[in-house]
Amino acid sequence: MKLFRLMKLKMNSWAILSFLITIIIMMPILFITFEFFTRSSENWEHINEYLLNSYLFNTLLILFFTGLLTVFIGVSMAWFISAYDFPLRGFFKWGLILPLAIPPYIGAYTYNGILNYTGVIQSILRNFYQIEVNQKYFNIMSIPGAIFIFSVFLFPYVYLITKNFLENQSASLVENARLLGSNSFEIFFRIVIPISRASIVAGVSLVILEVLNDYGVVKYFGIQTLSTAIFQTWFGMADLGSAIKLSGILMMIVVVILMAEKWLRGRKKYSYSNSKVRPLKPVKLTGYKAWAIFAYISAVFLLSFFIPFIQLVKWTFTTYKQVLSDEFIGLIWNSTFVAFTAAAVIVVIALIIANFSRLFEGRVTNLVSKIVVLGYSIPGAVIAIGVLTLFIALDRQLLIFYQLIGLTPSLVLSLSLSMLIFAFVIRFMAIGYNSIETGFDKIGTTFTEASRTLGMTVTQTFFKVDLKMIKGAVAGGFILVFIEILKELPLTLILQPFNFYTLATKAFQYAGDERIQEAASASILIILISGVSIYIFHKVLEKEPG
Amino acid sequence: MSKNVFYTIGLLLVLSLAVLAGCSSEQSQSSNNETKTEKKEAAKSEDKGEVNLYTSRHYEIDDELFAAFTEQTGIKVNVVKGEENELIERLAREGDATQGDLFYTSDAGRLHWAKEKNLLQAVDSETVNANIPENLRDKDKEWIGLTKRARVIVYSKDRVKPEQLSTYEDLTDAKWKGKVLVRPSDNVYNQSLLASFISLNGEDKAKEWAKGIVANMARDPQGGDRDQAKAIVAGEGDVAIMNTYYVGVMLNSEDPEEVKVAEKVGVFFPNQETNGTHVNVSGIGLTKHAKNKENAVKLIEFLSSEEAQGKFAEANYEYPANPKVQPSELLKSWGDFKPQDLNLSELGENNAAAVRMFNEVGWK
Repeated sequence: MKLFRLMKLKMNSWAILSFLITIIIMMPILFITFEFFTRSSENWEHINEYLLNSYLFNTLLILFFTGLLTVFIGVSMAWFISAYDFPLRGFFKWGLILPLAIPPYIGAYTYNGILNYTGVIQSILRNFYQIEVNQKYFNIMSIPGAIFIFSVFLFPYVYLITKNFLENQSASLVENARLLGSNSFEIFFRIVIPISRASIVAGVSLVILEVLNDYGVVKYFGIQTLSTAIFQTWFGMADLGSAIKLSGILMMIVVVILMAEKWLRGRKKYSYSNSKVRPLKPVKLTGYKAWAIFAYISAVFLLSFFIPFIQLVKWTFTTYKQVLSDEFIGLIWNSTFVAFTAAAVIVVIALIIANFSRLFEGRVTNLVSKIVVLGYSIPGAVIAIGVLTLFIALDRQLLIFYQLIGLTPSLVLSLSLSMLIFAFVIRFMAIGYNSIETGFDKIGTTFTEASRTLGMTVTQTFFKVDLKMIKGAVAGGFILVFIEILKELPLTLILQPFNFYTLATKAFQYAGDERIQEAASASILIILISGVSIYIFHKVLEKEPG
Repeated sequence: MSKNVFYTIGLLLVLSLAVLAGCSSEQSQSSNNETKTEKKEAAKSEDKGEVNLYTSRHYEIDDELFAAFTEQTGIKVNVVKGEENELIERLAREGDATQGDLFYTSDAGRLHWAKEKNLLQAVDSETVNANIPENLRDKDKEWIGLTKRARVIVYSKDRVKPEQLSTYEDLTDAKWKGKVLVRPSDNVYNQSLLASFISLNGEDKAKEWAKGIVANMARDPQGGDRDQAKAIVAGEGDVAIMNTYYVGVMLNSEDPEEVKVAEKVGVFFPNQETNGTHVNVSGIGLTKHAKNKENAVKLIEFLSSEEAQGKFAEANYEYPANPKVQPSELLKSWGDFKPQDLNLSELGENNAAAVRMFNEVGWK
């Protein structure tokens, strides 16, 4: 009886913590919703008449094809890497995550820089072979171009999640099928795709959310999507109310996607059935098969990382003299510090809430897990406004306290980094949460229940059993968030304290002025830091026994 | 092995929290310092203090000028660099609590917007009034133009003779069908251009113009100003609407291919016989609730001075607003021109109408 009461107490502390965090996270979103109702929107008619349909159509078009392509590339890569052995496999295993290090808008600028009239391809053709090409075939600034950019730089989300799943959990099924004489195609379509459905869906929903929220690529390419519409209404018509209404539509799409995701992940749970997870042993390939797979993977790697990377390196060499200075050390510190802190906070919160919602399933917990990831669906700039409003209100409340301790400025919190970090937590919670939730999904609740039966409390179980089993997912979530924040722009631009610059804002400073070559130094540093984190991430996962 | 990894992660987490705590105390310490300096300032007026600036201009020359200002006066310049619309929203949200003293951006329309939202206050400085002509300052002195940019017609030197060009309106003529290049309408320079036509020619004419340009476009609007020049040389179109500033940037680019492109295009100042070439300004305004008003005004005065204006002209291919300062040799080589006779506040007044118009005529 005493034990039971103790357990209940622990349960409550998890619940209280989860609700508290949810409420804090919800505040800025509530501010935005509040605005949804207060502002009149005379422009709504106009938006409806001229913008909405075509914008929605473009958005869905890009989403659909990017989704399709990322699934195709991501899943095929994941399967080849986990099931076969071929030249350079060890490198590609983590090399294929590297494209995540390149922010899509930098990728877009870079590809346009490679392909356009003054780009390397056309100038070589022109200067050495006197060939003038038709610009039509070299123009990347179109909807297909945007789909290409999103697909090559975002497919690693699908690859990563699916690969981890296949490596660790498909061994028995795949090996049985092999024994029973199925060929590779049968195995791929009849076993691999069905069993990895949940991972594919988890990966592609991250891709879709990322695409929905992108502003940089579509703006530069002149493509009108829902996110361009939001900014046009806000800035062009000075109508934040209508802009928020549009964000509302965006949020609705996201909620539908999230619901579809849960549904698509299916009723079936593929959690470990025993404690020893046997990794899938890759089959050694020789001859043309090995080279065909090698060629395919190399092509994807070249397009999604190597070519743009080399171009940026080249630009860095032409411009570093005027761009690079001591200031960059500060930029590197700022970028990594903010990203590290926010990622750590996110991981801790995601662990608390994911554990809570997994152990105490029900409508309320479900709602909690939906709310915390909602931030990923709201455009960064809109979140920033919500956070700013909240912090200014807080500062006003605290004014008396500030005066009491002898501070004269009226804004303390909203001029500090805590505002920016808080905003990052709201914005990127979904990435950390998704990763950790998938980790929990994998282990199921059997071990937790066993541990509880043996007399440990929820908290003890969490530290001694659960956390150790999902540490890979925790590290993965941490690093994905870290990279994401390193690349982040709109939030940083609005919420930065005085004299606070990051590598991303430095890159933007030039790219925004169409000086992509000067932007290369900062971009390269972002890519290098992200690249190193990806490598560490890979090593962490490798060392894990299964 | 796995334990080690686990402990490393745990350690990293703890470390990060420690660093965070350290940072926040550092933060509060620095704000403590700020308060101390402010208090001292109140006590001793000789203390130099600081000035806080919100800017959407991303040029190194600005940083150099701020550094020069600090050297001369001892006043520290703190900067937030963002995008103009977001900075306006931030100022608005911060209200009377704002620590921003100055708002600095490269479009008169946006300056006007800040004024409309009641975020700025008048600056009456004799130095500024003497340095900057009246038409480049706000009617109510709430913002001051510091540099000028002309939005002109850039043409292919191979395929177009300057004699064939005359006005912005002429670009809607059937002879330019499929030959006009311009960037998307979400760009504020385009919005201000159309807003100026609304002021000068009326809504109907302006809309007709936008419609005519859409009909003559060589391709869907895309890219930035530089991309339009490249498209001319690549043969996608013959004429483009763009800022002189970018031609200057390209002529001085590190990339020899860009220099070649810029050398193959000519700059034409349209509407010289009629109502003048469209000019926009970068300008600065003192915020309504500025806490360091005196220092802020000193910075504006410095930026309007001949010394600073000369640097703008040299480094940034912009036309100085101070008439005592000559534009750079390059800008002079393009010749003198007659600007639109228009109070630039109107660019802001007509901005919303311009945006709607672009949507209505299908200018992407």
